[in-house]
Amino acid sequence: MDYYRVLGIDPKLQLNLNELQQLFYGRSRELHPDRFARAEASVRDAALQESSTLNDAYRTLRDPLQRAEYFLKHRGFDIGEQGTKEVPPELLEEVFELNMALEELKDGDESARPQLVSARDHFSTLLGESDIELEKLFAVHDATPGEDTLKQIRGLLNRRRYIQNLLRDVNGYLSN
Amino acid sequence: MAYSEKVVDHYSNPRNVGSMDKNDPNVGTGMVGAPECGDVMKLQIKVDPISGIIEDAKFKTFGCGSAIASSSLATEWLKGKTVDQAMEIKNTEIVTELALPPVKVHCSVLAEDAIKAAINDYKKKAVPAHANA
Repeated sequence: MDYYRVLGIDPKLQLNLNELQQLFYGRSRELHPDRFARAEASVRDAALQESSTLNDAYRTLRDPLQRAEYFLKHRGFDIGEQGTKEVPPELLEEVFELNMALEELKDGDESARPQLVSARDHFSTLLGESDIELEKLFAVHDATPGEDTLKQIRGLLNRRRYIQNLLRDVNGYLSN
Repeated sequence: MAYSEKVVDHYSNPRNVGSMDKNDPNVGTGMVGAPECGDVMKLQIKVDPISGIIEDAKFKTFGCGSAIASSSLATEWLKGKTVDQAMEIKNTEIVTELALPPVKVHCSVLAEDAIKAAINDYKKKAVPAHANA
């Protein structure tokens, strides 16, 4: 995995963000164009290329969600294409009710507003919970790498994205 | 990609939109969703307990045109079928009928899942009723 390689670290899901930042600064200095001002064109270009990869790597790896997606992709998982049945039934029920409320609000029925506010609060809580769960799964996989954990992570990311989209919709309606 | 005429027809005039009392012992409710696209589909059947024939079907779907058309068509097909016949409905039949493009096949899968979920819910409810009889 290129992003880990360019930073000189082992591919792990759990990363210390302070250490990551230090590594990024260190590598950035090493690859700084000033150091290659007198180098051959091919060497200079290679350094520039590496530097660009480094920037992408840091941007991706410092974000746990992007990091997980990157990691899964390189382990052969395609996020989003998979798993239609990974939404828990009680969440579906809630999503359905929420959509009903959104529809009422669209039709000008303001009485649906309080329901949306409580839905927003609940979905925010769920997002927070899924982030904690994600860190736990990261730790499990780093300790004992396995397909099953990666599948769980993929499911969690799907669910999280679903909740996030809902939250975006709800916020959109509430701000109107 | 353009929708087929049949999709447009079902989408603009969806059949059997609505809901039934999910606590009615003769009503089976199926709720399914797809996390990738945010679609959520509720499909309900009302079964005549004596004949086992589905006498009414309702749905409400939040999603794209193909998802709405798939569930609308499903409710049309369900009415008049026995529960066992309804279990035989395949998503591929929905794909063919609505001429769904490959990227929309998952909508028909969702509809088939909803049918099965509704039937399973009905059966789950019906068992204790029969046991008492």
